[in-house]
Amino acid sequence: MTLRCDGVVVIVGNYGSGKTEVSVNLAVNQRGIGQNVRIADLDLVNPYFRTREAKTPLAALGIGMILPPDQFLQADLPILSPSIAGLIRQPFGLTILDVGGDDVGATVLSSLSDSFQANSFLEGDKELRVFQVINPFRPFTETVQGCLKIRDEIEKASRMKITGFIGNANLIDETTAEHIDRGYDFVKRVSEKTRLPFEFMTVAEDLLPQVDIKQFECPVLPIKRQLVPPWKKAVSLKR
Amino acid sequence: MGKVLMKGNEAIGEAAIKAGCLNYFAYPITPQSEVAEYLSRRLPEVDGVFLQGESEVAVSYMVFGAAACGERVFTTSSSPGISLMSEAISYIAGAECPAVFVNIMRGGPGLGGILPSQADYLQATKGIGHGDFRLLVMAPASVQEAVEMVMMAFPLAEKYRNPVMILGDGLIGQMMEPVEFPDRLQSEPINKDDWATNGMAMRKSEQRNLVKSLFLDPEQLNAHNLVLKAKYERMAREEVKYDSYNTAVNYKALVVSYGTMSRVCRTAIDDLKADGFEVGMIRPQIVFPFPESAVYDAASKKSCKIVICIEMSMGQMVEDVERSVKGIRPVRWYGKCGGEVPTPEEVMDAIKACEE
Repeated sequence: MTLRCDGVVVIVGNYGSGKTEVSVNLAVNQRGIGQNVRIADLDLVNPYFRTREAKTPLAALGIGMILPPDQFLQADLPILSPSIAGLIRQPFGLTILDVGGDDVGATVLSSLSDSFQANSFLEGDKELRVFQVINPFRPFTETVQGCLKIRDEIEKASRMKITGFIGNANLIDETTAEHIDRGYDFVKRVSEKTRLPFEFMTVAEDLLPQVDIKQFECPVLPIKRQLVPPWKKAVSLKR
Repeated sequence: MGKVLMKGNEAIGEAAIKAGCLNYFAYPITPQSEVAEYLSRRLPEVDGVFLQGESEVAVSYMVFGAAACGERVFTTSSSPGISLMSEAISYIAGAECPAVFVNIMRGGPGLGGILPSQADYLQATKGIGHGDFRLLVMAPASVQEAVEMVMMAFPLAEKYRNPVMILGDGLIGQMMEPVEFPDRLQSEPINKDDWATNGMAMRKSEQRNLVKSLFLDPEQLNAHNLVLKAKYERMAREEVKYDSYNTAVNYKALVVSYGTMSRVCRTAIDDLKADGFEVGMIRPQIVFPFPESAVYDAASKKSCKIVICIEMSMGQMVEDVERSVKGIRPVRWYGKCGGEVPTPEEVMDAIKACEE
């Protein structure tokens, strides 16, 4: 199953569910199959471990990045670059919006709702998709009910509807194939309960040989970990 | 469910609940606000109290109030907020009440920045408020260790009837790691009938308790200070905690580093080992009292030529290291401040440069 995304993909989810790691890797993956990809960092709530940390390797791959001006990159100020509204209005290829955590982080989307509504994709030729990232090994999303509660909160705050789920089950370095299997089954239950598609499952690249991905009914996004603490090295994004 | 993936700040909040602390007063500040976010959700589920005050000064006195009643209580903040709390911390130490303060340090001085730093070392270990008192200061290097230390901090604060501080840098608060929680602490605050103002109805004895830090009689105040001094001397004997890394080999240099900085040092030490250059490390887990003998013993190893203090500050720990080494080896410093965490390569270069 090949993973292919077009139009505007908005990545939301609970705090620390792995939205940024997923967004960065999705961008790299889609660039790899020849897509034009842009990624916008809409995380206005957390100043650590944001998309902007992967700026240099993403630029080297020809992935466009929309960030606040340089002098505000390290600030905890809610700065929304005006160019984001423009890029929503005129999408090309794939545009990924990496949103901050929880309903608080998703509130920024409601301020962009004019741009979303003005967009031609609502007329059918381009797609707007909103994916909720789920890691069942995180607090508050270890139950299906917890995931649905966060979905409702995010939908309310963002004035958008979630259209699908991303399974991002992991314990970072301590993830095993068993965690992936359990996580897959869990997100599948969320998907069945909501009747919304299970868009894809993430698996760390070095764990892939141990996971039987053929049993999955959705595509897999291999993860090359980028958001690492200073004593570790990010996995090279070079192809 | 076993392990969960948690941010340091969330794990600190959950660990406090597991330690039986259901009173949390706080005021938000980056990079520790997630403790309050987490506990504002979690504490109501366990019949606890989270109250956001109008300032750090206000919440620090709420902590004093709850502590005086013999309740387990804690607060969290980051550098500038901790400075604002320092007055109450002095009062709490003076009144001999147990309480836990968590400082998720950011760069300073002043408003500084919001990225990780260890620049409140001197404040925490030597001079957080006025008067003759000390804090017991624990410095975690991982999210798991932060959990364990928070759970140890409450019984220790009660053992000494003194504030305990968890000194973590911004990374400890912000990074995510898998953690496992020990079982909930069963111990109750000890001997609180002897001192807490918990109400006569609650108490077995007829004694009326008074919590105060005011001693107008100079003889009484001197005697009070001698009691406190004896307490800190007991801490120095009983609360030494450190970790050694690569100290079984004949190392040429000894690194002293704590918190997340020590994890960068570990990577550097592993990489230097691969180049045939052996470096040992002592990581204080409790920074006050400082593990003086451990540092001295490690420095006195025959093969060791130099001691290097590596920290995310401009050398605040150097004098503790020098005091411990007692002049038997030269002591050098390497560090960065302001939010940029040194890379393993920079640490390797710094160690090599010191050794030359």
